[in-house]
Amino acid sequence: MADKLDVKQGTLALMILRTLDVLGPLHGYGVARRIEETSRNRLTLNYGTLYPALLKLEQEGFISGEWRPSENNRRAKYYALTPAGRKQLARETREWHETADLIAAFLAPRREAR
Amino acid sequence: MMRLREGLARLTGAFRRHRAEDDLHAEFESHLEMETAEYIRRGMAPDEARRQALIASGGLTQATEAVRAQRGIPWLEGITTDLRYAFRALRHSPAFTTVVVLTLALGIGANTAIFGVVRAVVLKPLPHRDGDRLVYLRQSHDGPGGESILFSVPEVRDYREGTKTLGGIAEYSPFTFTLRDGNDALRVTAGLVTGNFFQVMGLSPILGRVTDATDDGAGVPPVMVLTHEYWMRRFNGDSSVIGRLVKVDSRTVPVIGVLEPAPYFPDRVDVFFNMVISDHHVSAAMVQGRTHRMTEMIARLAPEATVEQVRAEVAAVHERVVTEHREAYDPASHFRVAVIPFREALGARAQLMLWLLVGAAAFVLVIAAANVTNLTLMRGVRREPELVARAALGAGSSRLRRLLLAENLLLTLMGAVLGVMLAVAGTGLLVSFLNRYSARAGEIRLDGAVLGFTLAMSVALALLLSYVAALPKEGAFAALISAGGRRVSGSARKHRLQRGLVVAQVAVSVVLLAGAGLLTRTMVQLSQVSTGLRTEEVLTMNVPLLELSDARILGADAAAKERYQRMLQELRALPGVRAVGLGSPSPLRRSTVVFEVKAEGKVLAVGEAMPRGELRTADPGFFSAAGIPVLRGRAFTESDRAESGRVVIINETLANRYWPGEDPVGQRMAWTGDVLRFTPISGDWRTVVGVVGNTQDGGLDTEPRPVVFMPFTQMMAIGGGFVIRADSNIARLAPAATRVVRRIVPTALIENVMTVAQIKDQSVAPRRVNAALVSAFGLLAVIIAAVGIAGVLAFSVSARTNEIGIRMSLGADGGMVQRMILREGGALLAIGTVVGIAVAFFATRAIRGLLFGVTPNDPLTLVGVALMMAAIGIVACWIPASRAARIDPAITMRS
Repeated sequence: MADKLDVKQGTLALMILRTLDVLGPLHGYGVARRIEETSRNRLTLNYGTLYPALLKLEQEGFISGEWRPSENNRRAKYYALTPAGRKQLARETREWHETADLIAAFLAPRREAR
Repeated sequence: MMRLREGLARLTGAFRRHRAEDDLHAEFESHLEMETAEYIRRGMAPDEARRQALIASGGLTQATEAVRAQRGIPWLEGITTDLRYAFRALRHSPAFTTVVVLTLALGIGANTAIFGVVRAVVLKPLPHRDGDRLVYLRQSHDGPGGESILFSVPEVRDYREGTKTLGGIAEYSPFTFTLRDGNDALRVTAGLVTGNFFQVMGLSPILGRVTDATDDGAGVPPVMVLTHEYWMRRFNGDSSVIGRLVKVDSRTVPVIGVLEPAPYFPDRVDVFFNMVISDHHVSAAMVQGRTHRMTEMIARLAPEATVEQVRAEVAAVHERVVTEHREAYDPASHFRVAVIPFREALGARAQLMLWLLVGAAAFVLVIAAANVTNLTLMRGVRREPELVARAALGAGSSRLRRLLLAENLLLTLMGAVLGVMLAVAGTGLLVSFLNRYSARAGEIRLDGAVLGFTLAMSVALALLLSYVAALPKEGAFAALISAGGRRVSGSARKHRLQRGLVVAQVAVSVVLLAGAGLLTRTMVQLSQVSTGLRTEEVLTMNVPLLELSDARILGADAAAKERYQRMLQELRALPGVRAVGLGSPSPLRRSTVVFEVKAEGKVLAVGEAMPRGELRTADPGFFSAAGIPVLRGRAFTESDRAESGRVVIINETLANRYWPGEDPVGQRMAWTGDVLRFTPISGDWRTVVGVVGNTQDGGLDTEPRPVVFMPFTQMMAIGGGFVIRADSNIARLAPAATRVVRRIVPTALIENVMTVAQIKDQSVAPRRVNAALVSAFGLLAVIIAAVGIAGVLAFSVSARTNEIGIRMSLGADGGMVQRMILREGGALLAIGTVVGIAVAFFATRAIRGLLFGVTPNDPLTLVGVALMMAAIGIVACWIPASRAARIDPAITMRS
C-alpha cells in the first residue's frame, strides 16, 4: 500500500468547505495544511490540485476570496464560506453520509448480509 | 455538467487574463513564503526551506496550467493564441502571404460577384405572389420573324374558354406612346393590359390602385399605372403623383397607381394602361381579327394543375383552332404554341451567358486554390524543421493541425475581404452588362446571403488547404527530432501532387483561354460584317409624326408629308451636308410592319412557307444618301408620285427568293394575307423597278430579311427616318440637325439620333463585353498558372540544390542545368496544354450559341491559345531555370 493517498474526485471540494466551516476564513496554505494534518499526512495537496479546486468553488459561488494581511503581516488571499457554500456543505455532508452508509452496508461482513 | 454560473465566470475569465494571472502568482508566492517560514521555524536553512517548499508545490508551471484550464474556456483561448501566432508567422513571410492573399482574392472575388448575379437572376423567388405558378405562352412559326408572333384577341378567347388548367389569363399588348410634358416629348414604352392583369400576375400597388374588371372595354376612361422604376426615374418617387393628369398622345390620362418593383417581361415597360387608351385596341379589327396578333399571354395555373397538364390542354386547343380556321394558319409555316414557366422565360436569354460566367469564375477559383495549395505545400516543406521543433517542445499533431488551420483561415479570410471589395467594384459592371439579358439584373445585390456564401467558400478553402499538407505522424516526429530536423526535400507523394496541380492549372487555363479566344474572334468577325451601307459618314434620325393607327384622321398624312418636305430642305441646306434622304424607318433599324408577299406568276409549292417582307418606304434621295447600292433597275425618282403607277424596290433577299437567277425588274408583286384588312395598305399589284443590296437592319449577327420599299409618296408617312450624309465628322452634325427639326416640329419626338458607326457599335457592344469578361477571367487564370509553374520549379530547384551542385562539380555547365530545369517545366506545360486543348475541344461546344462567324473547334483559336500558353509558360520556367544555372557548386557542396 502506498504511503500517500490520492484525493478522490469530488471529495476535495467537501474537505475545503468543511475546513472553512470549522476554521473560518483561511488562505490556500492554511487549507492545505489543515487537510494534510486532518488526514494525518496521508494526503498531500500540491498547488495543481488545490488551486483549481478553490477557483472552481469560487466560480460556483460557494466561497469568496479576498486579499488581506495575514497573521505575520504578509498579504494573503483568504477564502470564506458564502451562505450558498454553507448550504452546499450541508447537502454534500448528508449525501456523503448516505453514500458511506450504503457502501458500508455492501462491504459489511458476510453473516450480516445473509 | 457545467453550471451556468461557472460558465459565465469562465467566459469572463477568458477575457480577463492578465489580472487573474498576476493574482495567481501573488497567491502562489504567499503560499511559498508561508511554507518556507514554517520550514525555517522547524530549523531548516532558509535556502533549503525555500527549495523544499517548491518541491512540495508540485511544480508551479503545471499548477498555473491547471488553474488556467479551470479559469477560462481553453479552446477559445487556444484559437485566439493560434490566430495571434498565425498572424505573426504570416508577417514573417510577406511574399508568400501577398501572393496567396491576392490569388485567393481574385478567385473569391470573381465567385462572389457571379454568385450574386446567379442568386438574383436565377435563384431568388419572384416578387410575384406564387410566381412559380405563372406560365408564359409563346406562339411561333417557321421563318424569319416567326420566333414570337404574339396572339390575337380571338385566339386568347379560345384558350380562355377552352382550358380548365389555366386559372386566369392576363393579356398584355406592347405599345409606345409619346408623353408630353410642356414642350418636352418623351417616348414611353407601355403595356396595354386587361383589368385582370395585375391580379393574375400577383402584383400589388404600393400607391393608389391597379386596374380591375371595371377598366375593361371601350366605354371607360383611360387610366395609367406607373412601374416602380419609371416612378422613381421620372417622378423621383413623389407620392403625390396619384391623380395627376398626364398628356399621352392627344389624350389626358390620370395616374391611378404605382406598382411594386417587379421585373418587366417580355419588354422593358415604363407604364401600364387599360386597353381603351388605344382606339385600335378596342376596335372591331383588333377584337375580331384572328390574324391581328398584338397580345402577349401570361397565365396562372389553376389550383392543383401542373405545367404538363397545361401543355397538353393548350396543345389540344391549338390543334382544334388550326383545323377550324385554316385561313389563319399557313400549314407550311408550322404554327405552334409553347408553355414556358414564367421564371424560366425571364432568365432564358441570360442562361447561357450566366453559366459561362459561372464556369469561368469556378475555373479561376480552381486554379487559385491549386496554386495556393502548391504554395502551402512548398512552405510546409520549408517549415518542417520548425514543426519538428514545435513537436519536440510538446505540441501534439492535433495542435499543429490547428495551427495550420488558423493560418489558412487567416489567409482565406484576408483573401475574402479583398475579394468582396473586388466584387463590389465589379458588380456595377455586371449589372449594366446583364441588363441586356435579364429583366432581373436590377435585383443583383451583394447581400447577406451572398456574403454568407463567400464566408462558407473561404472556410471550405481553409479546411482543404490545412488537410492537403500532410503532417508527419505522431510517432514519426521522434525520428525527425533525432535526425536533427534537417530534411528539406518533400516526399515523392507530395511532389507528384504538386506536379499534378500544375498540369491541372495549365489545362484549365487553356480551356478558359480557348473560350476567351472564341468570343474575341466572334467580336472581331462581327465588327467586320458590312452593314450594307457603303459609307459610315451617315447620321440617322427618326422623327415619327404619325402612327399606323392615325390613318383615319383626315388630312393628317398630307400635313405630315408637307412638314417632312420642309425638314428635308432645311437639312440639305446645312453646311457640310452632301445628301439627305427620307424613309421609314431609317436604315439599320428593323421595320415592325411585316406582311406576306406574293409574286405574279410564281406559285408556291405545297408546303412551302409564304415569304414575309418588311414594309419600308424611301424617297428618291434615300438610297444614295445612305449608300445602299442599287444592284438592278433604278432608285425611286420624283416621277413616282402618289397618283402615278404603283412601284416598289425590293432587296436582294426577296429577289433571290422569288426570282432566283432572273431579273425581277418589270415583274409584279403584291402584299397579301388576311391581316391587310385591318390596315390602310392595299393588296394591289406593284411593279418592281429596282433591286437594292441587303442591309443589316436587325443587327450585324442576323440573317437579312426580305424587304419591300414603297415610294414615300405612295404610302402613308409613318415613322419618318432621315439619312444624312456629310463630308466628314458626321457626329458633329447631330445637334445642328436636331435644331432644324425642332424649329419645324417643336413638340415632336426626335429619337435615335445616331451615326452608322454608333448603330454598328450598339450591335457589337454586348459581344465586346462578353469577350472582355471571359478574356479577363482567362488572363487571370494564365497569370495564376504562370506563377504556379514558376513557384513549383523554383521549389524544385531549391530542393535539388545539392544535386545540382554535385552535377556541376562533375562537369555539367550552367546551360545544361538550365536545360534540365526547362525540360522539367516544359514537360508539365506540354501535358497541361494537350489536356487543356482536348477538354476545350468538347467544352467550347457549350458556348456555340454565343459564337458568330467561328466554329467552337476553330483550329486557329485552339492553336493560338496553345502557343500563347506555351510562350507564357516558358517565360515562367525561365526564371527558376536561369537561377539554377547560377548555382555555385563550391558553396553548395560546403553547406
